[in-house]
Amino acid sequence: MSSIELQNINYIYSAGTPFEKAALTDVSVTFGGGVITGLIGHTGSGKSTLVQLMNGLMKPTSGTVLLDGKDIWAEPKKIRDVRFRVGLCFQYPEYQLFEESVMLDIAYGPKNMGLSDAEVKRRVADAVRFVGLDPSLMQKSPFDLSGGQKRRVAIAGIIAMEPEVLILDEPAAGLDPVGREEIFGGVRAFQRERNSTVIIVSHSMEDMARYSDELVVMDHGRVHMTGRTSEIFRRSGELTKVGLDVPQITRLMNILRNAGAEIPDDIFTVDRAAEELTKLLAERKG
Amino acid sequence: MLKDITIGQYFPGSSPLHRADPRVKIILTVMYIVGIFMAKNVWSFVFAVVFTAALVIISRIPAKTILRGMKPLIYVIAFTAIINIFWTKGEKPLVEWKFIHIYAEGLQFAALMIVRIIALLAGTGVVLTYTTSPIALTDGLERLLGPLKKIKIPVHEFSMMMTIALRFIPTLIEETDKIMSAQKARGASFDSGSLPQRAKALIPVMIPLFVSAFRRADDLAVAMECRCYRGDVGRTRMTELHMKPLDWILLAAFAAFIAVTVVINIFAPGFSI
Amino acid sequence: MNNEQKTPYISLRDVCFSYDTESGEKNEVLKNVSLDIYKGEFIAVLGRNGSGKSTLAKLLNMILVPDSGTITIGGHDITSPDMTEDDVYEVRRHIGMVFQNPDNQLVATVVEEDIAFGCENLGVEPSEIRRRVDEALETVNMTAFARHSPHQLSGGQKQRVAIAGIIAMLPDTIIFDESTAMLDPQGRDEVMQTIARLNRDMGITVMHITHNMNEAIMADRVIVIADCGVYLDGTPREVFSSVERLQSVGLDVPQVTDLIYRLKKNGVKGLDDALDPDEAAAQLLPLLAKTIPVKDAALGARKIPVS
Repeated sequence: MSSIELQNINYIYSAGTPFEKAALTDVSVTFGGGVITGLIGHTGSGKSTLVQLMNGLMKPTSGTVLLDGKDIWAEPKKIRDVRFRVGLCFQYPEYQLFEESVMLDIAYGPKNMGLSDAEVKRRVADAVRFVGLDPSLMQKSPFDLSGGQKRRVAIAGIIAMEPEVLILDEPAAGLDPVGREEIFGGVRAFQRERNSTVIIVSHSMEDMARYSDELVVMDHGRVHMTGRTSEIFRRSGELTKVGLDVPQITRLMNILRNAGAEIPDDIFTVDRAAEELTKLLAERKG
Repeated sequence: MLKDITIGQYFPGSSPLHRADPRVKIILTVMYIVGIFMAKNVWSFVFAVVFTAALVIISRIPAKTILRGMKPLIYVIAFTAIINIFWTKGEKPLVEWKFIHIYAEGLQFAALMIVRIIALLAGTGVVLTYTTSPIALTDGLERLLGPLKKIKIPVHEFSMMMTIALRFIPTLIEETDKIMSAQKARGASFDSGSLPQRAKALIPVMIPLFVSAFRRADDLAVAMECRCYRGDVGRTRMTELHMKPLDWILLAAFAAFIAVTVVINIFAPGFSI
Repeated sequence: MNNEQKTPYISLRDVCFSYDTESGEKNEVLKNVSLDIYKGEFIAVLGRNGSGKSTLAKLLNMILVPDSGTITIGGHDITSPDMTEDDVYEVRRHIGMVFQNPDNQLVATVVEEDIAFGCENLGVEPSEIRRRVDEALETVNMTAFARHSPHQLSGGQKQRVAIAGIIAMLPDTIIFDESTAMLDPQGRDEVMQTIARLNRDMGITVMHITHNMNEAIMADRVIVIADCGVYLDGTPREVFSSVERLQSVGLDVPQVTDLIYRLKKNGVKGLDDALDPDEAAAQLLPLLAKTIPVKDAALGARKIPVS
C-alpha cells in the first residue's frame, strides 16, 4: 500500500516570461493507500498539474513529492521508474492507442518496464479482466473497436503496469451510464484486489459520491478541503462556493434538513437515500 | 508551454504598415525588392538604407526583434560575404598569399552585399511578415491572385488549405504535447538512446497524431458541409478590401523609391556594381 | 403545446438506415423510424453510445441519406430523387448542426471570421454578413472575443462560437449532437443557457442529443432512441416516469426521480413523481412531518431556495 505525499508544492508555468502563471500555490496533501480518492475542482483549479507532478511528468517549481517517503526527484535519471509505480491515465486515453492489436497496445507499458514475456502476458490478461474486455478482442486492431471499448483498452494499458498508485483523469467522460459503471466498477475491483491507491480526477459529483472514499477539493491552485467523501458532501455549501455542483440527492437532503426534518447527514447516494427515507416513512406504520 | 508559440513572425500593432491592405503590401514588397536590386552605386545604397530605416521606424517593430529574426540567416550572410571577398577580381590586390587574392573592390562589394541582404530582410519583414497576420496574408494572396482562377489555378482551394492549416497548427501542437506525455507515462523515453532508437520511440506519438489528424479532418469536412461550404461557388466575403488613401500613399512612396534610385544611379558619381 | 392541430415541420416515415461493416455485412442502425417534429419544440434525444442518435441527426440535414423511407421538412420531401444540389444546401441552411468536439468545427483563425463562414458560403451580401455576425456574437455573449483566435478560448466559449456560426445562417432548427459532452460543468452551463435562449427568445426548434439527465429535463419533449428506433417519446415527466423501461436499455433517470420511484416500490404511499429536488421535497416533507419531528411542516408546501 503506497502513499504519495506532496509537501509545499508550488508550480509556475512559463516562469520568468511575461506569460508567467501560478498553477499551484503551496499545496501540501497526502493521498493515502488503499482507498479511491476523488480529486475535484473546476477547470483551471490545478488538478491536471497536480497529477502530472505526482508521476514526475512535470517537476515542481518548489516543494517535494514523496512516494513512500522518498523524494521522486532524488535521482532524476530514475524518474521513469516513478512513472511505472505511479500510473497516470490521461483524459480521453483512447486517443493514445497506436499498436496493431489490442494485446500489443496493452503490453506497451509492461514491455517498457523490461519484464519477461511471460510476466507481460500475465499482466495483460489480468488488466483485461479488470476492465471487463472480451478476450476475443485481443487480436483486433484497437482502431476497430467502439468508443467505450477503446477507453477500456487504454485504461488496461495503464493497469497492466500494475502501478502502486493509479491516477485516472476523467476516466468516464463522454460515456453513457452503462459505460461509466463498467469503468468505475473495474477501477474499484483493481483497487480492492491490489489494495492500491487510486486517484480519480472528475467533474461529476454524482460519480464521486458513488465511487470515491475520500475527496480532495482544489480551488485556484490550492487545496481547499480534504476528507472522507461523506464529510465533504456534508459541507455542500462550501462546495457550491468554489463553483462545484452538488448531486441532486445532496440538494434534496439539504432542502429537507433546512425545513427541519431530522435526517442523517451522511446521505449522498440514491441507494442510501432510498434506504433511509423508506425507514423513516415506514416508522409511522410500525 | 508549446501552445504559447506564435505562428510566423507576425508582431501585432497598429502602425500604417499594419493597417495597409494586405494586397497592397504584397505589391509593395515586390516593389521594394525591385528597388533594392536596382541600387547600383554607393549613393543609391545609402538612399535604400535610409528608406529601409524609415520603414522600420514607421512600422514600430523593435529593431531587436528584427535583428533576432535575422539570426538564423547569419551563416548565409557570412557565406555571401566570404564568397564575394575572395572571388571578386580588381586592379591591385590588397593581400596576396598563395592562391588568395583580396582586392579593395572585393571588400567593397562584400560590404554592399551584406547591406543589401540585411536591408532586404528588414524591409520585407516590416512591410509584410512582421506587420501582416498569416491569415490576412493568405487572404491578400487569394484576392490578388483571383484572376488566375480564370485559367483554372485553384487559388481559393489553396488559400482555404492555408487557413485551415493555420487554424489547426496550435491544436495539433497541443495534441502532440499531450500524446507525448501520455506515452511517457507508459514508459516511453524520447530523449535517450541512439538515433534509430529515438526515431522508433516516436512511433507511439506519430500514429495517434495521424489518426487524430484524420479524425479531425473528417469532422471538419462534415462541419463545413453543414455550413453549406461548396468551394468557391457563389461565395461572398464579410470583409471586402477597399483601397484607402493610406494604401495609395504607400504605393506612391514606393514608386518614388524606385524612381529616385534610378535617378541616383544615373546622375550620382561613384562606385557602381 | 397542442400538436394534434398543427402540421409537423419535420416528419420521418418508416426511415431505415444501415452502415456497411468492414466484413461486408449490413449493420442496421435505424429501422422503420417514424417521428414528427413541430416548429419551436425543444427536444432532448437520449440513447446509449452507438444507438443511432447521431445518425438520426445527420439524416435530417442530408449528411446521410436513408436506405428507405421518407423525410419531409416544411412539406418538402428531402428523400425525393428530384432534390438538386441547391436544394441540399437549402436544407442545410434551415437545419443547422453543432457537433461534439469544439475544436473540429471551427474553420477560421479569428472568431468573427469563423462565424461569417456559413454566410459567406451562402453568398450573403458583405454588409449583411457583418450585421448578422455582430448579432450572433451578441446572442451567444461572445462580442468581447470577436477578434480572438479560437485556440485561446475555453471549450464552452468555442462551442458558443460554433453556435453563433450556425445562427448567422438564420436556421429555423438547430441540432446539437452531444455538443456538451466534452465540456466541463461551467461550459455545459454556458451552452445550455444559450440553447434555451435560442429556443425561447428566437423560436428556434432545438434537438439536443445528450447523456446528461439534468439537460434532458430542460426540454419540452424527450425522445429515447433504443433498439433501432424511437423507444420512448413524451414530456420529460412522462419519459422519466418509465424508470424500469429506461434502465432496461441502459439509461439513467435523474437521481430524485430514481429515489421517488424506489420509495414507491418500497411501499411508501402518497408520492407522485419528481424531476428535481424541489419537487421531490414538496412531496416528501408532508409525509415526513407525520412520522418524524419536522420543525416547520408548513415549509414543505413551498419551495425552499437551495444555497
